Amino acid sequence: MERAIEIEHLVKRYEDEPVLKDLNLQVPEGNIFGLIGPNGAGKSTLIGVLTGLLSYEEGSVSIHGMELNAKNELEIKKLIASVLQPPLLFEQFTSLEFIEYVCEIYEIEKEGLVEKAYSLMDFFDIKDFAKIKVNKLSSGSRKKLAFVTAILVEPKLLLLDEPFESVDVISIERMKTVIRRLKEKGVTIIITSHILEVVENLCDDIAILHQGKIKAYLDSVSRKDLQKDSSLHEIFEKYVEVEKKDQIVDWL
Amino acid sequence: MFYRLLTLNWRIFISNLNRFQLLLTIGYILFLGIMLVNLIGTAIVVVLMDSRPWMQVELPWLTPDIYKFILLVFGNAYWLMHFSFTNMRLLNIEENRKLLGFGFPLKRLAKYLTLIGFCHPVNIIYNFTWVIFLMMQVDFAYQVPVGLAAIALNYVLIYSVKHRFIRVVEKRFIAVVVGFLFLVFGLFQLVSLFASNSSRIFAEFIPQVETVNHFLSWLPGGILIQTVTVEYGWLNAGIISAFATLLIGLTVMDHFNKTKEGLLNPGLKKAEEESSKLWVILRKVLGRNAGKYYFYVMKHPYNRLQVLTLTVIPLVYVPLLLNVDFEIAKTILIPTILAGIPVALLAMGMANMYGYENREFLLHLQFPINLEKQLKERFLGVIVLPLLVFYLITLFELLVIPEIGSPLQIFVANTFFFLMFMLLFVWSSYFQYQRATYSSFSYKHPIIPQKVTFAISFLIFSMGYLVFVPLEGLEWYRLTIMSTVIVIMVIYLWRHMEVLVNLFKNRVLMRLWNEL
Repeated sequence: MERAIEIEHLVKRYEDEPVLKDLNLQVPEGNIFGLIGPNGAGKSTLIGVLTGLLSYEEGSVSIHGMELNAKNELEIKKLIASVLQPPLLFEQFTSLEFIEYVCEIYEIEKEGLVEKAYSLMDFFDIKDFAKIKVNKLSSGSRKKLAFVTAILVEPKLLLLDEPFESVDVISIERMKTVIRRLKEKGVTIIITSHILEVVENLCDDIAILHQGKIKAYLDSVSRKDLQKDSSLHEIFEKYVEVEKKDQIVDWL
Repeated sequence: MFYRLLTLNWRIFISNLNRFQLLLTIGYILFLGIMLVNLIGTAIVVVLMDSRPWMQVELPWLTPDIYKFILLVFGNAYWLMHFSFTNMRLLNIEENRKLLGFGFPLKRLAKYLTLIGFCHPVNIIYNFTWVIFLMMQVDFAYQVPVGLAAIALNYVLIYSVKHRFIRVVEKRFIAVVVGFLFLVFGLFQLVSLFASNSSRIFAEFIPQVETVNHFLSWLPGGILIQTVTVEYGWLNAGIISAFATLLIGLTVMDHFNKTKEGLLNPGLKKAEEESSKLWVILRKVLGRNAGKYYFYVMKHPYNRLQVLTLTVIPLVYVPLLLNVDFEIAKTILIPTILAGIPVALLAMGMANMYGYENREFLLHLQFPINLEKQLKERFLGVIVLPLLVFYLITLFELLVIPEIGSPLQIFVANTFFFLMFMLLFVWSSYFQYQRATYSSFSYKHPIIPQKVTFAISFLIFSMGYLVFVPLEGLEWYRLTIMSTVIVIMVIYLWRHMEVLVNLFKNRVLMRLWNEL
């Protein structure tokens, strides 16, 4: 199977503090890939490296067979769309202006674009906000607008950092539907989330990231074996070596 | 708790300073000291000018009426200055409002912030000068409380009116601009009328100075002077003081309520459908990338106020200075004020280039467009408007005030001025980055860091003297030096645009990534 992402011995430091330490990871093409880990594990940093926003000190990163470097940077960026946490939107534009601007950059066919945008916005109940300025939207609507835009640019690799945070339950279900539909079209989707139930139900493969390293990689086969006896929550606790700290707050 | 809040605000202020900024702050303090000494000195000279016997010999025309006229002109002019300098952008309200989340009572926080807001050094200097100016003229003890109450009332009123004025400009920009231009052109007509008939007006004016004084004494500065020059007795003094205190209380209360509102609503959010014609125009003129950037610059309410100030100040000062029979005004002050306009426009767009878009700029970095291209487009887009104004001003100087120098001198001097500041702003954009805020009630400058604002105003006048002061026979040396520096700067900027990319990656990118 083709690899959408291949990371070898990746090291990323903030000043002198390593955040990603000798990280190795391969993500198959067309996979819905879940990346879970406690706060500060390095999930957002890894997404930052994949989007090309953060540089790294050691190792190599390849996306769809192209090494992430200055030479391939623009080719790779054409393949990727992302929804970061918090989502990046053009605050002074209306929702529709924002969508049109981004799609134009990615050279998306203009014909039928507005109709597509409206139908997706309608699907996520944000159609009424099409001509409202982005900085006036609620946090949930902002997340949905970023998601809609990311889909409209027709990426081959979709990076979603905490996509379900502050989104209502109905919209989460709709997002899951869209994500599954994208997978059918061959898009690779990387999702980071703290909602383990959603990751468990939605993702094909799951990796547990802790202290800058991949502690476990659970593909569909190993997940079946492991999850016979324990839930993803229990597996997660095992790999991140959660300390029992109940006695510390006994005074409460 | 007030002490803790003061310490917190001091820490916020200090923690944001690097060594260079610290130096600038020390310079700022020195500047304020000089300003205080100058203002008090001028006030003392004005008050004492008729009491020296040698003055009556040297200035026989200084009759009591003319002396009163000078006193009133000073008072009213000083009042106007006070109006333009009353600083209300001191504290970081965004940081302070976080205290609410930790249970700091809203009312107490608003009360303390109102109090701290009144304590800006510039405000203290102006009010202190008023105190010296008025107290030197006191004849009776009962005038002291009335004078002090009047100074305090005057200050809180200006403070409150200024806040409202900013809000009005934010909402009714076009109406305010048209209104101001109308006023300015009216003033312009008056000035030219006065200039063309000055000797006749002056001859007619001397016998009527008493009437003019009567009029001036009922303008705000005149009323302040009246509180210490008119006899009204203890009873009236008590009534006036009590009434002034009541008004002060009400105005402070109003300000306290506005602070409370500002703490609770950092930005006005009203979901209405909006169309952006400005965006459509800028996109056509400057392109998608630079157009979007300049759209953000122009959308910021504070920049609208800046544009208004930039239009009004030269329209008032330049005609006034053109009619003054004072050589330095023509050769240094006018060219400096005019050269400062494109610089101020440049400052609006360039001094904090990434603060407007802030974190959303990260999305631009994910686009399949070369970063260097994006930065260059913004850089070039930002200088289009200031450059256009620069050429218009140079043309104006060549046609209207050719006495300031030869066409070559004027052009080289203006170009030098423009380029030096452009370099300062490039530096500021990468080393003095701060997130531009959109709060409707901001206590600090919402776009450019305070230190840079100070450096700009200080340098504009220093540079004005350096570039425009007549050098007679040495003019060619200065011209050669300036031309050489211009050529070096242009070649450097042209050949090393990639420096911007490295500076961006090293200085700005991580701050955008980390800023939430």
